[in-house]
Amino acid sequence: MIKNIFSFVIVLMTAFTASAQSGLPTVDQSPMDMCYYPVRYPNLKTQDKITEPLAARVIYSRPKKEGRAIFGGLVEYGKLWRLGANEATEIEFYKPAVIAGKKIAKGRYTLYAIVNEKSWTFIINKETDVWGSFKYSQAKDIVRTDVPVQALSEPVEFLTMVFEKENQNINLVVAWENVKVALPVSF
Amino acid sequence: MILILLAFSCEQKPKAEPVTAKVTTPDTSNKQPIEIAVNPYAPVDISPMDMSYFPVDYPKIKMTNANIAPPVARLIYSRPHLQRRALFNGILKYDEPWRLGANEASEIDFYKTVTIQGKKVPPGRYIIYGIPHVDKWTIILNSNIDSWGLKQDSSKDTGRFEIPIATNGHSLEYFTMVFEKTATGADLVIAWADIVARLPIQF
Repeated sequence: MIKNIFSFVIVLMTAFTASAQSGLPTVDQSPMDMCYYPVRYPNLKTQDKITEPLAARVIYSRPKKEGRAIFGGLVEYGKLWRLGANEATEIEFYKPAVIAGKKIAKGRYTLYAIVNEKSWTFIINKETDVWGSFKYSQAKDIVRTDVPVQALSEPVEFLTMVFEKENQNINLVVAWENVKVALPVSF
Repeated sequence: MILILLAFSCEQKPKAEPVTAKVTTPDTSNKQPIEIAVNPYAPVDISPMDMSYFPVDYPKIKMTNANIAPPVARLIYSRPHLQRRALFNGILKYDEPWRLGANEASEIDFYKTVTIQGKKVPPGRYIIYGIPHVDKWTIILNSNIDSWGLKQDSSKDTGRFEIPIATNGHSLEYFTMVFEKTATGADLVIAWADIVARLPIQF
């Protein structure tokens, strides 16, 4: 225990020293990441292997489970969640998209979720460049849609978002802890 | 007391060690993402992505000021770290293009027209890369967006800017890019190891 506290203090000191020395931002606890549809579009583009046009991109931060209870715990059921950490999660459509029958113009949007035990509500909102979900305004929603929760056999440590294509259907898959959900998107 | 502490820490050791070994002792020779075995979708990058806005912390400021004007700029880049390597002759090579980051090309969005070294840069999205030289860096804006950070297509360059470099007297582990306010706009501060370069932007 004492050893752990000692290590913790050292970690804290290191963190403060690093930022105090340079005055520049330290690395986020929950690293940011992006995912494209078509999957790995930038790699394909650089290798001249593009077979379909650029359609969508999600930018999100990836909190870590770190032994915590996530759904129903850290992420409370029935409450609005930024679907990530730090800045709110951003979804960009490079051409018109359709979600739950609603036509969405190309452009940048903020993506939120309300998590429940059996289903999640995805929310596409037009207010961009926002932090978290603290100033969310439902009046700026473009569309809301409910999707069922699927169980995962292997737990996922970091929040993960990725586009997947199955047959002709494109889904934005979100996986964390022991659940996965899929938001259908068509272009 | 010391004996008790020693006994206690010895007793703790077998339990604590596997966790410590996994989480806090990076194997610098191992470039594989740590989560590859347990995440079938997308492992976490070794060089985490980050974003910098001008105004600095714009999304946070917006929380308390809903009527704030749109931001001026947003930069998205990945942050490699030194991991005991030398910056030059270890990671970067002089006079060769570098993506100013890792993985995807670094991206800069201007929300309005800005001026860099007298050149007007229209609003929109660009990739940004650099060529480090011994005594200065060349910073380049390019229109080939949504690309990977290697093999830049210089025929799509939209602006090249030479900037001086300085040393800052200490070593920065993670590559860092951030905006800093100036009298005429903002500097894009580019810093890694003991090198700092500034690209002045007017607006």
